[in-house]
Amino acid sequence: MRQQLALATILALGSTAAYSADTIIGITGAITGPAASSYAPAVDGLRIYVERLNKAGGVNGKQVKLLIQDDQGEPSKAANNAKKLLQDGAQIVVSASLSSTYAPIIAEAKRAEVPVLFAGSVCPKEVFPPADKLLFCTTAFTAEYDSRAAIDFVKETKGTNLKLALGAMAIPVSRGGIDFAEGYAKSLGMTIVDKQIIPPTAADYMPFATKIKSAEPDLIYSWAPWINQVRTFEAMRKLGWQNTFVTWGHLEAEEEMVRLKDPNLLVLGANALFFNGDLPIHKEIIAAAKAAGSTSNPNQLTEGWIAGLTIETLLKQIGSDNSSERIRSAMQTLKIDTKGLRGGPIEFTPTNHFRTTQYYRIYKWDSASNQITIPKNWFKYEIDPAGAGSR
Amino acid sequence: MQLIVNIVVLTSLYALVACGYVLIYRVSRVLNMAHGELMMLGAYALFATASGISGNPVIALLISAVLSMFIGLATYQVLMRRLTGSSVLAAVLTTIAIGILIRGMVVLIWSPQPQYPARLLGLENPSLAIFGDARISMLSAVLIGVTVLVYSGLFLFLRFGSWGIRLRAVGQNALLAAQRGINLHAVFAFAWGISTFTASTAGMLVAMDKGLDSTMVMIGLKAFPAALVGGLDSLFGAILGALIIAVIEVLLIQYVDPLLSDVVPFLVLIVMLTIRPWGFFGTREQLDRV
Repeated sequence: MRQQLALATILALGSTAAYSADTIIGITGAITGPAASSYAPAVDGLRIYVERLNKAGGVNGKQVKLLIQDDQGEPSKAANNAKKLLQDGAQIVVSASLSSTYAPIIAEAKRAEVPVLFAGSVCPKEVFPPADKLLFCTTAFTAEYDSRAAIDFVKETKGTNLKLALGAMAIPVSRGGIDFAEGYAKSLGMTIVDKQIIPPTAADYMPFATKIKSAEPDLIYSWAPWINQVRTFEAMRKLGWQNTFVTWGHLEAEEEMVRLKDPNLLVLGANALFFNGDLPIHKEIIAAAKAAGSTSNPNQLTEGWIAGLTIETLLKQIGSDNSSERIRSAMQTLKIDTKGLRGGPIEFTPTNHFRTTQYYRIYKWDSASNQITIPKNWFKYEIDPAGAGSR
Repeated sequence: MQLIVNIVVLTSLYALVACGYVLIYRVSRVLNMAHGELMMLGAYALFATASGISGNPVIALLISAVLSMFIGLATYQVLMRRLTGSSVLAAVLTTIAIGILIRGMVVLIWSPQPQYPARLLGLENPSLAIFGDARISMLSAVLIGVTVLVYSGLFLFLRFGSWGIRLRAVGQNALLAAQRGINLHAVFAFAWGISTFTASTAGMLVAMDKGLDSTMVMIGLKAFPAALVGGLDSLFGAILGALIIAVIEVLLIQYVDPLLSDVVPFLVLIVMLTIRPWGFFGTREQLDRV
């Protein structure tokens, strides 16, 4: 609750102090509303990062003012937020919300010629080659590359002679990922026995799971919001289906793997999970969250932290000239050291505002050691600079 | 066989939620559009209680049940009571505002993260094999049992209980009931208490079975066609409506297109409103008054 109250206080006070800051960053995110579980931690992570940065003296002697607005995942609120943030002088607008909010944010930002950074929310197609000059993305997940990585992993570990079922939520981005997985798996010779597109309003997942089970799949792959993925998985288990379930590792994944303790739940992720605590950056995040009094689980702050790293890298690169033109120009060739939070750096080029290389890891629960393990360590996909193929 | 089990579970869920719509409508003619949110609030009450009394599920459940009834009574006493005598539309709009308020409060207080009260209470939820290869989770089986108990209790209560008779009397003619000495506010508050209690019971069972987050309000929304199709002032109608909606939903998922399962219940609702707006077992006279 303290985290929410802190964010609410910032919402109330943010704009009043805006003009005293040296560099102004605005964020609109789904801090409340039905989708908040996936986005609020990203906003909190960035907030903690910026507070910590300012306490350490800022960048190049300048403080960073973070203006936070809650759009509840609603396009109309996101549009108002974007207008307000830009009126308050935001030099970069960060979005951590549903993809349905993108259009109004992008429209407002383009009018003001201010870059938009998608952090914790799905990367829009405009950040892939040939990228829009004002749109950038540091979010871990992207529909088609994730599905490609998952299906490649399935092929590597189980072969192609298998019956595959697919699961998605009835929202465009999830369907896009699963449609890609279907085509890609078929091209590799796998048999698709079922594809369930589950409405977001489903009251009970058992009827959907029953349909999937009746197709007798050897393996299920699901790429959707976490609630959809985990409820499909749990419904399958309640029906007695015990085969392998491959799914995307959203922010909630680490805690949920510990809760479920299921060795056949394989989680594909692009963020380094916190379970073995061997990364100094993880210790930094935990300490910063504690110092900030955040009630978010530190292992869910990664997306916001990477957004913070991006902003700090940018400000270091532009030096004392924090004009809008300089910021726009520097964003085109930014290289962000993720310090182990990802498998490698995030590198923007003038035509690629997603990253030049996308890294993945596979996680699973190991019953013998009673902890999460890594059956496959970082593997990578080069993003096609010509923009051909998937995104 | 699994399809039948799924239909029975979904019918029980919708019926348990729908009876709350019916109770309030039957007594006061108000459509409680915050019913799903009150259901969710009851489930969060269990989560809060479970966080404090993790070692004793029975006590935690009892406290949450009492708390949920109190929430219903308080909602009437603090907000809805002031609207007595106002237009029904004003009351319905107030319930929409209550729903928005609850949704915001829940995220502020408990965070948007999914919660698992059964885990806090140390409750196991094994999958039980029944009738051949059909399976059901233990808590879904409990949901069916609780729905049967609640409806049996309500039928008996409304038929033979002194407060039940008062509820029916107020529902039939509030003015006459008041003239006969029945305290209308007490009856309305009682209906709100019972309604929130039944919805919260459904919410608690769903939260323990599948987890709890703010999307639970959708269940309240989907139970609404069940109440309307059956007839808004008929408990039996609520069961029939729940069965119709559940059968349609499960069969569409299995044999046609899962996406239609989201749309068709509301299509059925529209058809019903067009050809028989008072539902299968509703009373035409009462709907006309609305």
